[in-house]
Amino acid sequence: MDYGADLGFTFVHTPKVIFGENALAEVGTLLSDLKASRALLVTDRFLAEKTELVARLRKAAAGRIAGEFLDVVPDPTAESIDRASELARRVGADAVVSLGGGSAIDTGKGLAVVLTEGGRVLDHEGYHALPKPLVPHLAIPTTAGTGSEMTMVTVITDPARGQKTFIGSYFLHPAVAVLDPTCTRDLPPLLTAATGMDAMAHAVEALFSTLRQPFSDACALAAIRTIMAFLPRSVRNGADLLARGQMLIAAAQAGSAFSNAMVSLNHAMVHSLGARFHKHHGTLNAVLLPHTMRFFAPDVGERFVWVAQAMGVAASPADPVAAGLAAADRMDRLNAEIGLPRRLSELGIPREALAEVAEMALSDGSIIYSPRPIAEAAEVLSVLERAY
Amino acid sequence: MAFDFPSEEWTQAYFNAVNSDPNYKEAGKTWTYGALAFVVSKEPSIGLTEEKAFILDLHQGVCRKAWIAGLEEAQKQPFVITGTYAQWKAVMKKELDPIKGMMQGKLKLKGNLPIIVKHVKAAQVLVENCSKVPTRFLDEK
Repeated sequence: MDYGADLGFTFVHTPKVIFGENALAEVGTLLSDLKASRALLVTDRFLAEKTELVARLRKAAAGRIAGEFLDVVPDPTAESIDRASELARRVGADAVVSLGGGSAIDTGKGLAVVLTEGGRVLDHEGYHALPKPLVPHLAIPTTAGTGSEMTMVTVITDPARGQKTFIGSYFLHPAVAVLDPTCTRDLPPLLTAATGMDAMAHAVEALFSTLRQPFSDACALAAIRTIMAFLPRSVRNGADLLARGQMLIAAAQAGSAFSNAMVSLNHAMVHSLGARFHKHHGTLNAVLLPHTMRFFAPDVGERFVWVAQAMGVAASPADPVAAGLAAADRMDRLNAEIGLPRRLSELGIPREALAEVAEMALSDGSIIYSPRPIAEAAEVLSVLERAY
Repeated sequence: MAFDFPSEEWTQAYFNAVNSDPNYKEAGKTWTYGALAFVVSKEPSIGLTEEKAFILDLHQGVCRKAWIAGLEEAQKQPFVITGTYAQWKAVMKKELDPIKGMMQGKLKLKGNLPIIVKHVKAAQVLVENCSKVPTRFLDEK
């Protein structure tokens, strides 16, 4: 029992979740339930031109798609969201349907803000400052990792200021998340592995965040168990729809966990390395996670026993540090099993840049939720060095 | 002598507390992002018939100016943090961590969250200074 008498928390329920093989076919009914007849579809050209998903979606929506914005960019910029908003206004959109990974869903969230509140997306940067519910947003993930379909935040890049910024609000939760394993079937093995480990990092970090609480813990532990069982299967055989579906559920559970409990040091380092070297977010999470777990092994207590047990590692409540180290070793082996790199050096990151990355990570918002306060760049650097 | 919160006198006492604290000078030295407005929501039951804000013009570890203002002026500042009287009281009594409060929606931030979070140490020192100001709370009168 890891909760004290001082326990106090907020847990916000997630969107309506529709799960199932070919759940995509329900989009028309779902839009109708939301009283939406002129949705704007937000996706990228790859999905529109190289897969059948957009065609299936159009058919399912039965005339309720009024326009299509196909120019979603990775790390969505304010400018791209404003362009989507202009199109949405032109076609008189009354809802948003996002189809894709985290970037498409985050673009959809930003668009829902502008469609409701007017102006440009950066006019609304802030946390819990939105005054009212947004136009409905239906999110359909095509990766099992970011969990953005379950979260209350959109991350926006503002190249003019050279910064990322956030809009966070409970109103940003999509109204509906459609989890359809056929939408992730075509994801290549390496991307399946990397996005899956992003979900794993969300779950593990939510469990040892300073904002941890019983509801997010439950989601996170369930996600870890499921990822251990089904991520290797998804990587080995992308057409295994049972595994694909379970991974979508796990990513959504991990998303719900970290939307409430936040992430910490691992993501702080990942954001900094990503900003500096533009490496894949999930791959960076995977490489760093075992090292972050070892770093925090003395600090997390019983929670590491829970993590180890969820990973199928024998762990005694009498020795949580050993449990943490054993769980970290298992995480490292999981990376190997699913074909991911295990060292930062394998990613072409120069060692001499690590000190700068450590300084950047110290300034990342996520770091403040670490299980023990991290005030010195040297502490971050020690983790990066071990991961190199 | 205790000062009513919020009031011009309380704001000036807070201004003095911030500027006489070497810890803030150090913790806030990288702050170059403009003024913060702290808005107290209206609460007629304790005599707050409209929103009141205290604004701190902070720059590189110094509070250049502090003043009490209405909602309209507050909303022109680059960072606006809004809370109920009870929530601000909890912050000043160190019962509510302001960053946690923002994350949980107890305090509402208009502005760039990463910049605020990046300066978490400075925020902690500001709260520390706040709690040093002798304060008379309107709901305790």
